[in-house]
Amino acid sequence: MGVLGDFGTTWTKLLNTQSGDRRVLRTKDAKGLVADVATGHNARRRAPRHVNELIALAHGGQRLIDEREFLLLDVGSRDVKYVHMRGCELLAMDWTSTCGALTGFTLELLGSYYGLDYSAIEPSEKSVPVTCGVLGMEQLFELVSQGVSEVEAVARFARGIALNAHRFAGEPKRLYLSGGMCENQLFLHSFPRGVDVTPLGQFVLVEGLIGELEKTAGR
Amino acid sequence: MLSSAENGDGSKLLSNGYRYMVQQRRRIGFAGCPPEEVLAPLREQTLIDLDNVIEGVTLRSESALPRTTCRIIQRILDNALALDLDEIVIDVGSGKCDAARGLADVLDGMLRIPVTRTQNDNRVGAGTPISDSGLPVARKLVLILDGLVRPQRLALEPDPNPPAAIWGVPAADFSIYDLFPDGSQVLGWTRCLENRTPADWEMEVSVPDGRPTVFFAQTFCPKNVTAQHLARKHNGLYVDADGVLSQSVKAKIEAFLYFRGARR
Repeated sequence: MGVLGDFGTTWTKLLNTQSGDRRVLRTKDAKGLVADVATGHNARRRAPRHVNELIALAHGGQRLIDEREFLLLDVGSRDVKYVHMRGCELLAMDWTSTCGALTGFTLELLGSYYGLDYSAIEPSEKSVPVTCGVLGMEQLFELVSQGVSEVEAVARFARGIALNAHRFAGEPKRLYLSGGMCENQLFLHSFPRGVDVTPLGQFVLVEGLIGELEKTAGR
Repeated sequence: MLSSAENGDGSKLLSNGYRYMVQQRRRIGFAGCPPEEVLAPLREQTLIDLDNVIEGVTLRSESALPRTTCRIIQRILDNALALDLDEIVIDVGSGKCDAARGLADVLDGMLRIPVTRTQNDNRVGAGTPISDSGLPVARKLVLILDGLVRPQRLALEPDPNPPAAIWGVPAADFSIYDLFPDGSQVLGWTRCLENRTPADWEMEVSVPDGRPTVFFAQTFCPKNVTAQHLARKHNGLYVDADGVLSQSVKAKIEAFLYFRGARR
């Protein structure tokens, strides 16, 4: 029993395995907080045991997905990564912190800036080519200056992120999604038509730490 | 026989009262893997491998080279500009890239010292005991690179079952090697370097079947094409890095070795 933590760039996700309590708080507000096992961009010095994010993602998928073979894509606020597993075998994986940089973070930022309710926005047929959050935002403001509504411009931006992430993962027909973007309905519906996306929520990496905690306890 | 004493001015005072100027050792920088017959006599001088990190060297190459130049070529120029050398020996044979051949001309234009171009087409292998040993990978790299300046005479046994392998050129950021379990095999151009056969393509692309192998190339290096091709062919992991390794590249290597059961 213990506390597991995914200390991400923007959000920290905590799971107390004894009480079952799950908590999400801003990483900037999680100063001094420590866990028994940690993962995530800010995990070092947060726990005696640190698990690399790709390994945590794969193990989280193995716990949560009831299929032998799966592709699990994690769209975080800073980066995009995926693992493609068949049983215990890693078929493919990748992690980009450059081409997908800050896309999730930027979408969150735009939401608060324009006061948008992402569950009420229709996905756009068009997209902004989003190579990174900053460049994408530049194009978005360009659209707004040309008379496109803020809502439509943001919808195109969300579609750009989804297309980029889907391409990055090798254009699978079916994928599982992890991370804060699982709760963004606009993003979820911005993947190409025909692609089956199953959101697993923000706690996939944390779930992937349970095995490590059990191993540590058994020592 | 005359005895002598060193003076502070670089001269020697002999017991017969005459003073002689001592011949200073020349500072010779080299890049790549020049032929042994060229390097051997130079070891009597102060020989400096310009491919390596040298403490205190400031980075000045950025303004002289295109931004798409790999870190190793940049480093050679930075070192050459900073070290007050008497001569540079640079291999421009088929074991090196066009960037190295171009760099030889850049050096010629920027420095007022001789720039000697060599072509190392040696095919007589000196052996790869370091690459195949059970040593930590970072230690292997240090020994292989030092071996050009001070040939190594170590009694090393090959690891009978290397847990993994790393293919490529020596990395600009040595922290990549700490990610591998001890005894991981060194493949690719680095192996050719230890063997003193930098243009031995057959050896460079030779990869044992079934061994979890990370194929590494410096960003902007033409070897990226081969690294990616070999990674696909051998079910390995291809990574490239421009200078310092990012956390995501490190995590990919760690995860690959973990899931392939290569951690000891």
